[in-house]
Formats: sequence, structure tokens, C-alpha cells
Amino acid sequence: MLSIALPSLDFDPHVVWRFLFNAVILEGAQRTIVVAVLAQALGVGMGIASALMRMSKNPLLNIPANFYVWFFRGTPLLIQLLFWYNGLPQLFDNPDITRELTSFRVAVFGLGVNEGAYMTEIVRAGIESVEAGQMDAAKSLGMTYAKAMRRVILPQALRVIVPPTGNEFIAMLKNSSLCFAIGLVELTNASRSIYSVNFKFMELLAVASIWYLGMTTVFSVFQAEVEARLAVGMRERPPTLFGRMTEAFGAARTRLR
Amino acid sequence: METYGILPMIRCENVHKRFGRLEVLRGVTFDVARGEVVVVAGPSGSGKSTLLRCINHLEKVNQGRIYVDGHPVGYREVKGKFVERGEREVARMRASIGMVFQRFNLFPHLTALGNVVDAPIHVRKMGRREAQEAGRAMLAKVGLGDKVDAYPAQLSGGQQQRVAIARALAMEPKVMLFDEPTSALDPELVGEVLEVMKSLAREGMTMIVVTHEMGFAREVADRAMLMDEGVIIEEGPPAQFFSNPRHERTKLFLSKIL
Repeated sequence: MLSIALPSLDFDPHVVWRFLFNAVILEGAQRTIVVAVLAQALGVGMGIASALMRMSKNPLLNIPANFYVWFFRGTPLLIQLLFWYNGLPQLFDNPDITRELTSFRVAVFGLGVNEGAYMTEIVRAGIESVEAGQMDAAKSLGMTYAKAMRRVILPQALRVIVPPTGNEFIAMLKNSSLCFAIGLVELTNASRSIYSVNFKFMELLAVASIWYLGMTTVFSVFQAEVEARLAVGMRERPPTLFGRMTEAFGAARTRLR
Repeated sequence: METYGILPMIRCENVHKRFGRLEVLRGVTFDVARGEVVVVAGPSGSGKSTLLRCINHLEKVNQGRIYVDGHPVGYREVKGKFVERGEREVARMRASIGMVFQRFNLFPHLTALGNVVDAPIHVRKMGRREAQEAGRAMLAKVGLGDKVDAYPAQLSGGQQQRVAIARALAMEPKVMLFDEPTSALDPELVGEVLEVMKSLAREGMTMIVVTHEMGFAREVADRAMLMDEGVIIEEGPPAQFFSNPRHERTKLFLSKIL
């Protein structure tokens, strides 16, 4: 008889299952998504603005943009969040301002501003990947710089911008957990609040991880779909989700026959 | 904009253009009459492309003046002084100067029709339906009526260049500038593009064509010019320019390309 003694692990899958759909966890997960989406949107907006400023020849535009990237990429995100949340209230010492600086707002703003610094470089690389002849052609048709950017350059730059932005968003989903430091009850903080009472550390960390994995998985599928759609006009166009599904469905049917 | 019937369509007066130390245009002066077709030849680096790019202000001249239809390009005359125009005014002016590039520069994310109607809709503010109708007609005119929904990557070089011509024509330009329109094409595709250009010339379009297609020049050009080192060396009617050039450098150049 084989009798290998398994080490007895203190891990109860039932606890995981019980807390997976716990109201506090669900609310935390929801907050993680909302904060990450809003912060990423702000980051993309700031990234586009700051990339255009950075590429300008006008020092009044490119110096502030360079400073922005240098500063926010060069200091820890945690310090930035603490600065907005704790530093600013001290600086102004004005209850009206302090009241406005809720953890949720600071989380979205702090993560978004930090993200914008990284997005600046991604957007810039995307714009620079578009051939110079495209701008010439757009201008020769009577477009202003801004219109040429909007109608001709940025749509093409998106193809280069979207994949790394997807990475950024996945990082954002997880980095938002740093906001526990400013009292935001997002997914990580929600699970922490439960295990600090029931001491089921492993189980609740597993619960949070399952949700993070779920979010990143769903998002990866979404990203692949966006990339397929953006590849319009490319010689080798990857199939869209709909295309792949009909294809898989068709293959399954032939196999069954 | 008012037009000046007697004035030349394009006038270049002593145009100079420098890139850093390098002086690419060193005093270019010539006129192009309404409906005239001028072919510009010359060795690479002679300033032909730069000259075209100056005519629609993609490059700013350092000295001299360029007028299109009587209006100074990129500048405004205020009490005898020239003031650079704002971006919007420059853009409006460019809208009536068509340009065709060596590398086509089609917008790869738009279909053939999308390429043709984009500027009419978003620059001329033409209605979408009207623009699309005109765009289809324009593509049919360049022989691509069956390719309206194709993306540039799905078209041959010759087809792409014809879309590019249709795109420029959709803005109803007063002038068309062609910057080596066939030199990026496979030899068997050159003819179809030249055909479109010939019919355009016959319709009376004012054209400056930078090209080494001397057959085209002989057949449709009213005048041929040779540029070298930033100046015009020789100009004249194609018959004389090709068979009896006066300058040694023209002879030398022609002997190399013919």
C-alpha cells in the first residue's frame, strides 16, 4: 500500500466558493473595473494631448510635456497617490478642498495622470510610425494639421497604439490595488477587509486573484477583437471574434457529420 | 477668390529654398499659363520635387514668390509687404492645388471611395451622398469604377496611383502637380497612369509634371524644362527640347535617359 503522507494544507475551497460572490467582493471588483476604465480613459486622453505637445516644435508646448513625462514616470505611483490624497489637503488646508478629494476621485485622477505619462510615449511611437507622406497627402488636400491628425494620422497610429495600451490597461486593473493606501475599497482591499476578520488569507487572496484573472481574460478577448477590427485595409487581416465563432461553429458541424 | 484671366496660372519668381546649408532651389523663375502642361525633368537632387512642394507650400520658400491664380502662395500682400497666412488660409489654398505623389500616399485605412470622398466631405463640407456620387464618377473616370470598395493594399501600384489622381481631382483643383507619378511603378503599369494624365491634359487642366517619361512629354507637354542644381537650365517646346537641345547639360542628361 502506498502511504505517502500528504502535508495537510490549511486551505478550504469551500471558503473560496462562499466568498467568490460575496457582496463586499463584488462591490470591490466593480470598483476596480470602474476606476481602471476611467483612469485609463483619462490616461489615453492625457497621453494623446501630451504626445502632440511633445512632438511640437514650440517650446511652450514641448517643455511642459517633457516635464510631465519625466516627473510622473520617474516617481512611484504610490507616492503620487499619497501626494494627491494626503499631500494636497495639507498644502491647502482648506476643508472644502479636502472634502472634494474623495478616495474614488483621487484614485481615478492619480492613476490617470500617471498613466498619461506612459501613454505619451505609446501614442508618440504610434504617430511616428505613420509615414510622413500621409501628412503631406492630407495637407495637399486642404486639411489643417489638426484635421489631418484626426482623420488620417491617428486612425493609422491606433494600430500601433492599441496593443501596448491593452497591456497598460491590464496593468491598470492590477495597479489600482495600490489605492488601498488611500482608503479605496477596491477588489484587493475588499478581500483584505474580510481576511483581516476571518483570517482566511489564502482563500480570500485566491478569490481576488480569480476575479483579476477573469477580468484580464475577458479584456484580452475584447482587445483581440479591437485589433482585428482595426486591421481594416491590411493585407493579412486577423479574423474578428464573430468570424472566428462562425468558423469554429462550421468546423464543429462538419466534424459531427 | 477672384481670378485673373490674363495672369499665368502659376508664376514662380526667383524662388530660393534652403535646407540648412544646402540650397536646393537657387532662383527659379517661370510661368505656367492656364491649361498649359509643363514637364520638368532633371537628375535626382536637382530640386524638382522641392519646387512642386513649394508651389503648394508644403515647403516654405526662403526667398522669392510663388503665385497660383494670381494669389501669393502661403503669403498675403499687406501694403506691399508679405505676411505669412494662417494655417487655415494656407489649407484652403492647398485645397485647390492637386498633388500626386511618387509613392501614392493613399490613406490605407480607407477604401478607394473613402480616399476620394474624405476631403470633399471634411474639407469642402460637401454632403456625404453628393460626394460619394461624385467620387464614384471620378473613380469611373480613371477606370476604377469596379474598385470603389477596395482598400489600397488590395490594389496594384497603377490602380493606387489612379485612385490618388481621382482623390486630387475630387477637390476640383485649378492646378495639378505630379511628383514623379510613375517612377515607383512596375513598367507594365506605367501606361495606365499616363493615359489618365493624358486625358486630363486634353481636358485643359493646368499641370506641372515631374517625370522622366519622355514619351509622355513629347505627346502632351506644351513645354519641357530641365532642372539641374536648383536652377532651370533649359526650357522650350518638347520637339525642340528633345531633338535639338541648346545646352550641353541637357544633351548629356537626355543621352542618359533616352
